[in-house]
Amino acid sequence: MHNILEVRHLSAGFSARKSEVKAVDDVSLLVPEGKIVGIVGESGCGKSMTARAVMGLIRYPGRVISGSVLLDGRELVGMPEKEKRALRGSKMSMIFQEPMTSLNPVMKVGRQVEEAIRIHEKVSREEAAHRSVEILTSVGVPEAEKRCLCYPHQLSGGLRQRVMIAMAMILDPRLLIADEPTTALDVTVEAQILQLMRTLSSGGTGILLISHDLGVIAQVCDHVYVMYAGRIVESAETAELFDRPLHPYTRGLLNSVRSLRGGGDVLDTIPGVVPNLMRMPAGCGFSPRCLECREECVRDVPRLVDEGDGHLIRCFLYEGEAAE
Amino acid sequence: MLNHILRRLLQAVLVLALVALLIFLMLRVVPGNPIATMMGEHVDPAVIERMTSELGLDQPITVQFFRYILDAMKGDFGTSYSMGKPVDGLIRTAFPNTLILALCAALFAWVMGIICGTVSAVRKNSVLDRLFMGFSLLGVSVPVFMAAMMLQYVFAYHLHWLDISGVKNWKSFILPAVALGWNSAGSISRLVRSTLLEILQADYIDTARAKGRGQAGVLIFHAMRNAMLPVVTMMALQLSSLLSGAVITESIFAINGIGRLAVQAIEGRDIPLLQGTALFSTALVILGNLAADLLYGVLDPRIRKES
Ligand SMILES: Nc1ncnc2c1ncn2[C@@H]1O[C@H](COP(=O)(O)OP(=O)(O)OP(=O)(O)O)[C@@H](O)[C@H]1O
Ligand SMILES: [Mg+2]
Repeated sequence: MHNILEVRHLSAGFSARKSEVKAVDDVSLLVPEGKIVGIVGESGCGKSMTARAVMGLIRYPGRVISGSVLLDGRELVGMPEKEKRALRGSKMSMIFQEPMTSLNPVMKVGRQVEEAIRIHEKVSREEAAHRSVEILTSVGVPEAEKRCLCYPHQLSGGLRQRVMIAMAMILDPRLLIADEPTTALDVTVEAQILQLMRTLSSGGTGILLISHDLGVIAQVCDHVYVMYAGRIVESAETAELFDRPLHPYTRGLLNSVRSLRGGGDVLDTIPGVVPNLMRMPAGCGFSPRCLECREECVRDVPRLVDEGDGHLIRCFLYEGEAAE
Repeated sequence: MLNHILRRLLQAVLVLALVALLIFLMLRVVPGNPIATMMGEHVDPAVIERMTSELGLDQPITVQFFRYILDAMKGDFGTSYSMGKPVDGLIRTAFPNTLILALCAALFAWVMGIICGTVSAVRKNSVLDRLFMGFSLLGVSVPVFMAAMMLQYVFAYHLHWLDISGVKNWKSFILPAVALGWNSAGSISRLVRSTLLEILQADYIDTARAKGRGQAGVLIFHAMRNAMLPVVTMMALQLSSLLSGAVITESIFAINGIGRLAVQAIEGRDIPLLQGTALFSTALVILGNLAADLLYGVLDPRIRKES
């Protein structure tokens, strides 16, 4: 299968007082054509940073430190800004975390949706406006023509997110990155937006869906990457991951979701919090919170090994087995 | 929207009426008979008495007030004691000078302020940024009279490029406009810089970049329009205060405007003239505030909707 996005050993971070902190550490991932690939992890684990690194939109003072990002086989790291700009919005686009603040408050919705067309193609205003009404309708915005004349604050959160999606999809990009597209929405609207994602991907677009919510991931993703403290700790097909979670962190995440669903008295959560980037443990990032932590976990970073059928895992509990 | 405008207009009228009352009262509580002060010490009391009753100053204070308000509404501010001419005529001759000076100062302030502020924000911490912000800080901290005298010294006395004072042609307005506008330019450029820096961090800027906008496109189509909201408000307020008479600048550069007229009124204890100029200036300030308010509503769709 053709991979639209190929990220290899990507590291990104911030330079702080001579030292360098890595918010994204040696991340590799694939997004095949027509698939939805999820990244799941707690707040602050580097999900957005990974997405921004792919788009080339990391905010100052952050930067890509090393690694490679291939979009349809073209290397993006180190590509001149002008060439990258030509790809953004046309070949790859991104939906940001906050639908409330991600639209320009003083610009009419229609203008914002058609903006990408007007940047990348030489078409008349009428043509662009016509196409933006079309795309808005196709993502389920009712009375799209009327909404085009609205300002963002006049729309509901769900509509705004649909506008964001329309905006990102208007030039039919190869890759769509959606950074927590449903976090700000209620459950029914969330289901609708996720359904929309599935429709888009069946059209051939590769989607990288970022979420901290395993429920969302389970509903739509074909493949999942579990991220912790800047590293991929586990990766597998969605069904496989939910059936056979290997990493103690993944198991903890699943348990907390299940205990919520089961309505148990005690919420089964993972003790502790994500470590601060400046005080990252030398070994496995999860070791301070891990109930199965061993001596080596504190000392060394485990390698990402294949546990069979492409189920990747970064944990000493399995590293030994794999070597045997 | 219409509702909003009407409400703001009504408010403006109320404020104006209140200010009219305050000006009136303040001038009445100043001790001493203004006629006596004006005419000097060795004047026949009978003459003073006749003048006082002629000007209606012996009437009860409420009657005086209502006469003053009614006359003012007809555009009649009485006759200047010290110049012996109708006050409204004096204001009318002085105002064009004030208007030209204010417009020139505003033009200077806004063009400089927006350019410097934008460059400073985009090239944050660069040499240009430091230079522009240095000049801005000077502008907002150096008093107008000092800026005026510095400019006179350098460009008129030393370089002989321009006249020291007086109004001969358009060039006569250059130095006063710069002296007067420097302060406003400083405030505008600092406001533009800080607003832009904040806006460039906004989420919708990322959205625009994700669509493929370059730095210039982001600035022009997204950041500037949003940054202009507070800036335009400040501009309207500045214009109204510039229009209401630059007392110091007009005096230093000998420009016969409203500000200078007010100074002359104070020197001559000329109550009708002072009352007239004060009321006129206040009306301009209130109008400016009203304009700022309505402009903000036009520029910001969120406010437009609310009303
Ligand atoms: N300017 C900065 N300097 C140093 N560290 C930063 C800076 N900005 C962000 N970080 C750190 O980078 C890490 C990754 O942040 P990122 O936004 O990618 O997390 P995330 O997984 O998207 O979390 P969330 O679910 O909250 O969106 C965080 O730990 C954050 O504290
Ligand atoms: Mg994030």
